[in-house]
Amino acid sequence: MRKFVALALIQLGFLAACGGGGGYGGGGGTPPPPPPTQTIATPGPPNVEKMTVDSGPSGVNAANTVYISVKVCAPGSTTMCQTIDHIEVDTGSIGLRILSEALTSVTLPPETDGTNPLAECVQFADGTSYGSLHMADITLPVSGEAAANVNVHIIGDPAYVASIPSNCPPGLQREDTVALFGANGILGVGPFTDDCNSTGPCPLPPAPPQSQNFIYYTCPTPSTCATTTATVAQQLANPVTLFPSPDNNGVIVELPAVGSAGATTVSGSLVFGIGTRTNNGLGTATVLLEDPFTGFITGTYKGTAYIDGYLDSGSNGNFFTDSSLTLCTSNANFYCPASTMSETATLKGTSAATLTANFSVANADMLFSTTGYTAFSNLGGTNGDAMGFDLGLPFFYGHNVFTAIEGNTVSGNMGPFFAY
Amino acid sequence: MMKLIRPVVCSLAVAVTVAAPAFAALGGDTTSVQADLARMKGALRLTSTAVFTVHEITTDSGVVVREYVSPGDKVFAVSWRGPGIPDLRQMLGGYYGQFAQAASTTRGNHHHLAIERPGLVLQSSGHLRTFSGRAWAPDLLPQNFSVNDIN
Repeated sequence: MRKFVALALIQLGFLAACGGGGGYGGGGGTPPPPPPTQTIATPGPPNVEKMTVDSGPSGVNAANTVYISVKVCAPGSTTMCQTIDHIEVDTGSIGLRILSEALTSVTLPPETDGTNPLAECVQFADGTSYGSLHMADITLPVSGEAAANVNVHIIGDPAYVASIPSNCPPGLQREDTVALFGANGILGVGPFTDDCNSTGPCPLPPAPPQSQNFIYYTCPTPSTCATTTATVAQQLANPVTLFPSPDNNGVIVELPAVGSAGATTVSGSLVFGIGTRTNNGLGTATVLLEDPFTGFITGTYKGTAYIDGYLDSGSNGNFFTDSSLTLCTSNANFYCPASTMSETATLKGTSAATLTANFSVANADMLFSTTGYTAFSNLGGTNGDAMGFDLGLPFFYGHNVFTAIEGNTVSGNMGPFFAY
Repeated sequence: MMKLIRPVVCSLAVAVTVAAPAFAALGGDTTSVQADLARMKGALRLTSTAVFTVHEITTDSGVVVREYVSPGDKVFAVSWRGPGIPDLRQMLGGYYGQFAQAASTTRGNHHHLAIERPGLVLQSSGHLRTFSGRAWAPDLLPQNFSVNDIN
């Protein structure tokens, strides 16, 4: 207890000295040594979108969540449009999903199977979201990147959530509102081309108690939805694949370094395309080829090889198993070591190349105790996958992290791959 | 590579085929839910150590569910891995209420959730198309059992 107090005082000292931090990667404490050459592309046309880490939509109070704005229009229309802010940028999922609650001033037509509207149940690790599928033209407002007739999952539309199908996994929390979802939507720009199955129909769900993370439904009416297989074209696509060439083979998440006490907000860039323009080259980055079916690489940490390794902008901490780190009593998601721990892992893909990943784990309770801070470079937590090793948004600060989509080759490297 | 992370079970365990398939929820015993294996249309593999027995069911849809059974025939831990999270009401049995209450007040993120209550610990992870998780009842853990062995 005494140690906690002492550390808290030290942190307060840093904060006072730094004037509360904030701004473009600003913050208190001692910043980590900068990576050799981080250059963050300036947001603007044709391929760089502005991203922001902040507290999220009103009432959410997010930590380490990076958001973007997306403009959606009824297909073919330039006037029936709405720009929606606080869409989470997630390299660990696929597809554009928007909370019905946030879609207030435009009506999008349904996506149908030719006869009936379609709906989808999607599972996340912390809950499930359900709603109908619609069509939209989408534009990212700063870069101007655009795609027409995109399948969009509208989560929580009242007519549909009034009768959620019984096999839309029960037993998990429902995340059909902005407050429960933690964002106005999510832009899944991970390493796959489609959410459920890139090479064929999304299968029907298995018999309970088994489950499946994506279930598609055909809905004669919102209350009579029946499971259906969804063709590749009917599934949610990775929006990046729908952007014009040469910006459609992957993304780079570019966020500046954040000091050890955190920052109020952080601004960065989401760059589209890898190795196709002067602002998206691999440069000196090392490529880690992913398992083509799972998207995993291997992270070796303290002598153990964790084969479910990945880098994920949608994870708000670095999540891995380490029984020497104390979990927080207030929130078992995160570690609360008495003093900040410096850690190292070695990442390796399916080729010989390796990368060293240095990160630190601070006391999450103390990080969160600083009012108004939303970005933390040293947040760590436990992983429900005993083989999991997840470098989340904390690791992205100060690194330009490449996520290349399956089937695309950059400099002889076939996606899916990570690089930094 | 696959074996590296599961050294304890693999090195201490002896795999045997069983004639009487059984599956049970956390806190249950192995005779309580015989029907589950049939429902999951899976194959059962049993591994035993001096401290515990693992019932592992692998289904044709790629889901692997494990239950960890104490010498006293109590399921003290469960784990899962596959393209979705199994019905936690069935996996957690009488512990589900504790989970639901805790989950409603714990903010996870879309790829990780962990809850810890005096009677129940649950950790869930999901990335792209792979979901893994584990849950255990601290009160039921056998002596000399490390929760790191729940995988």
